[in-house]
Amino acid sequence: MTTIAAATVLSTVAACGGSDDSGGGSGGGGGENEASDIGVTADTIRLGAHYPLTGVAAPGYSEIPTGVQAYFECLNQEGGIYDREIEFIFRDDAYNPTQTSQVTNELVLEDEIFAMMSGLGTPTHSAVLDFLNDEGVPDLFVSSGSLLWGDNPEEYPMSFGWQTDYMSEGKIIGEYIAENFPDAQVGLFLQDDDFGEDGEAGIRQYIDDQIVAAERYTPGNTNVGPQIAALQAAGADFVVGFNVPSYTALSQLTALQLGYDPQWFYSNVGSDPTLVGSLLNRFSEGQVSDAALLDGALTTGYLPTVDMTDNPWIQEFQRIWDECGGEGELTNYRVYGMAQAYTMAQALQAAGQNPTREGLVEAVEAVGSEWEGPVFAPFRYSEESHMGTSGMTIERIVGNGSEEVQPVRITDIGDAPIEEFDGEPATPPTNAIPDEEPYEG
Amino acid sequence: MDYFVNVTLTGLTQGMIYSAFALALVLIWRSTRIVNFAQGSMAAATTFIALALIQAGQSYWVALVVALASGFVLGAIVERVIIRPVEGGPELNAVIVTLGLFVAIQASIAIIFGSSFQSFPTPFGVRGLEIGDSTIPLTPTSIYVIGSVLLVMALLVALFRFTRVGLAMRASAFSQEVARLLGVKVGGMLTLGWGLAAVVGSLSGLLIAGGTFVWPAYMDALIVFGFVAAIIGGLDSPVGAIVGGLILGLALSYVSGYAPRGSALVNISALVILIVVLLVRPGGLFSSATARRA
Repeated sequence: MTTIAAATVLSTVAACGGSDDSGGGSGGGGGENEASDIGVTADTIRLGAHYPLTGVAAPGYSEIPTGVQAYFECLNQEGGIYDREIEFIFRDDAYNPTQTSQVTNELVLEDEIFAMMSGLGTPTHSAVLDFLNDEGVPDLFVSSGSLLWGDNPEEYPMSFGWQTDYMSEGKIIGEYIAENFPDAQVGLFLQDDDFGEDGEAGIRQYIDDQIVAAERYTPGNTNVGPQIAALQAAGADFVVGFNVPSYTALSQLTALQLGYDPQWFYSNVGSDPTLVGSLLNRFSEGQVSDAALLDGALTTGYLPTVDMTDNPWIQEFQRIWDECGGEGELTNYRVYGMAQAYTMAQALQAAGQNPTREGLVEAVEAVGSEWEGPVFAPFRYSEESHMGTSGMTIERIVGNGSEEVQPVRITDIGDAPIEEFDGEPATPPTNAIPDEEPYEG
Repeated sequence: MDYFVNVTLTGLTQGMIYSAFALALVLIWRSTRIVNFAQGSMAAATTFIALALIQAGQSYWVALVVALASGFVLGAIVERVIIRPVEGGPELNAVIVTLGLFVAIQASIAIIFGSSFQSFPTPFGVRGLEIGDSTIPLTPTSIYVIGSVLLVMALLVALFRFTRVGLAMRASAFSQEVARLLGVKVGGMLTLGWGLAAVVGSLSGLLIAGGTFVWPAYMDALIVFGFVAAIIGGLDSPVGAIVGGLILGLALSYVSGYAPRGSALVNISALVILIVVLLVRPGGLFSSATARRA
């Protein structure tokens, strides 16, 4: 049984041009599969995550785990990782940090997961950061661009970021505005937590003198009238939002009420045109039609999106969703989940045939920066930094899609310069299953 | 100046929404002397019924009528089946039961209608009215909300003040024994009171939802503000509920608009306002209950 499955993986490897001794069952010493650590048996690896499946942050985000699941389902059908099936357990925290602590306790202590992956949200995941690190549970690829997961590996050795952090994103947005809209009077619409603060710190490095107002909203308080009115009163003709998708919809609705029509720039997190459009289209009755409200707004990108049907990653993810996914369409949130699952598969392959929690973390630190995948720019993983990718494009929303207005530029936190990214986009391996060699240390 | 007008009108609209919810609380208090914590999730339940109808292609107005009717039925059933057995015991029992109901109904909504975040349509526009060349944040939808709330308040005042049914309901709530001796069918009146309160609650749920987003817990924040508004107004007076809601809406809008990091201070301000009002006038601004309690 083991041999047959291993052979499948090997043939896959051969088909995409890998050398005979890489990946598959023959790597990592070639011995038997063992229950090498908590959450690992000879046939399974158990991973866990927390997401808001209900409540105000649920729209969009609740689709991410379905993408992760679809990817692992297809991966398992092709033999999994070293013949182990991936079991992915996710629980609802309703974007409420108290519940995050509770469900993370369950995942770690009852479900006995090997590693956490893709836990979503800055306020939520902050609540379990100490716990996961104290327990020595690898905390990979947190679904949030806060600096917390990556800029202090000494204190949090088990945690790793994944997406572009909000400060780097703010810097790239700030530089773009300084160069292309030097006369704009910029207003900031910020979530009142690390998300808004990091974004603001980044953007102020480039256009501090252009900013005329910075308004903050508290998640959960759905009346943003006074905040949008203050941006209008300050004379802002260009508004940059670091907010979650439901607040994109709320800010657009409020702007309609106020008759306020600036150039909008939503950071990546809040900008999904399909989702925001679906929230707003019910009010249409000839007044607000579908995504038209967001038409012309600017945003950033670090992953291909579903409207890029020529992109080979999107084609592969579409196939995976059709074959292994559940109900509904492939969405950008599902693409996000699949892309994270792809990175997770790379990490597990690199951790070798009989992975341990420490070995997994070491492997990500050692070789994670070399991984190629759907993400536009490389990760920054090393012993000194656990930050994820740092590159972003700038895009203009057109209908339900977007067109690129500035190619990928990369930077880092602090005052690191912004540079053009000169790498080539990676193409997906066969079946979109990575082929990383085990890291021997 | 424009900014002040914008913040004020935003506050007024928001305040009317709190008033709508406070009215339902006042109604149930007047007719049964119970503070109904389940009011919010009962309203959410009928709002989701309306949303399901609209999604099935019915018009907003059909959905509105069905939601109000199902609100009446739901209120009456809750009273007959769940509240009746604990009536007459310590007052706290009924209140705790409504708390339990609040959680149970909310969970049922999530099971039946799903827990996703959805937009709820409005029959009127969501764009601000244009006056001259400036736009004020008063939309046709908010005018509809304000009009409906004022109309319901007038109807309630008329019901309690000028009809025999209203008098009988007040009598049953005030003293069941005496009312019964005077020939009032107390049981029927209590059921009617719950039914009517749930109708008003359902209407407030629909008004609050119109032109914005709903999910099973969407009434949670409003429950707190609605209670505060009702208590500011005295918990006993429909006019008080409206005034309490408006005061609260305006005050919170000014806090949010003028205080540094105002958005974060909104919830705490509501409680500060409540404490101040209760310290100055313990019975609430429009209280008439003191005389009757004696």
